[in-house]
Amino acid sequence: MIMSHYLNEINRIKHCCFNNERQIQTVLEARNYITNHFDEELKLDQLSTLQLSSKFHLLRLFKRYYGITPKQYQTEKRLERSKQLLKAGTAVAETCYEVGFESPASFCTLFKARFGCSPSAFQKIAIFTKSKNI
Amino acid sequence: MKVHVLSIPVQNQQQALQFYTEKLGFIKKIDITLTESNRWLTIVSKEEPDGTEILLEPSPNHFEPAKAYQQALFKAGIPYTQFLVDDILKEVERLQDLGVEFSVPPSDMGMVSIAVFNDTCGNNIQLVQMRS
Repeated sequence: MIMSHYLNEINRIKHCCFNNERQIQTVLEARNYITNHFDEELKLDQLSTLQLSSKFHLLRLFKRYYGITPKQYQTEKRLERSKQLLKAGTAVAETCYEVGFESPASFCTLFKARFGCSPSAFQKIAIFTKSKNI
Repeated sequence: MKVHVLSIPVQNQQQALQFYTEKLGFIKKIDITLTESNRWLTIVSKEEPDGTEILLEPSPNHFEPAKAYQQALFKAGIPYTQFLVDDILKEVERLQDLGVEFSVPPSDMGMVSIAVFNDTCGNNIQLVQMRS
């Protein structure tokens, strides 16, 4: 394989930014944990104990490697799942609690800020589109 | 404002359509003949048929700077477009079995794994998988 400019760059960036595989594994495990428990309360203390790292260190590492905080990642996962539930016809309040939000009002605010429409408007459009395609 | 269409410059639209549909698994969305050598030809991901369309754009044949830019990127091995996959090893194996050539083998790069292949239309394309 010829060493292209891009391959050289990959190796350079890998060496300067991603050379600590142990750190990377710690963050990957934290992310996997949140992915699998996004509907639960996020306890960074507990997570950092599991990863043998301090809460603030883990927070810094997560932000450094993913560009967002664990809390933001959890919210993304919750909103992503809420769209699937709404599309399947689950009521807005039920969806809110199912994905782990505590208040339908804050869920609606977050949803609207992220997707530009309320959960009920999203659901109406999704169901209308589905019935039109049948 | 929404992202509706993004372009990939290709040297031969028909060859590109075959590669992107038959090998990569995309589906044709719009195909309108504009001139003898120019079609408005878009494809979409099978997994997201209502998602962003990719225009297979014959600009390298009609605009010299586009041709020079595409050639320079290709020569340097730089991919300008990325596609997300669930299992990069499986996808690379599937594509290699179809004769697709890779310039970067599956490699871990921080929080992702990447691989780069030649789309036979003048471009390097990068596959990306989120590591777990």
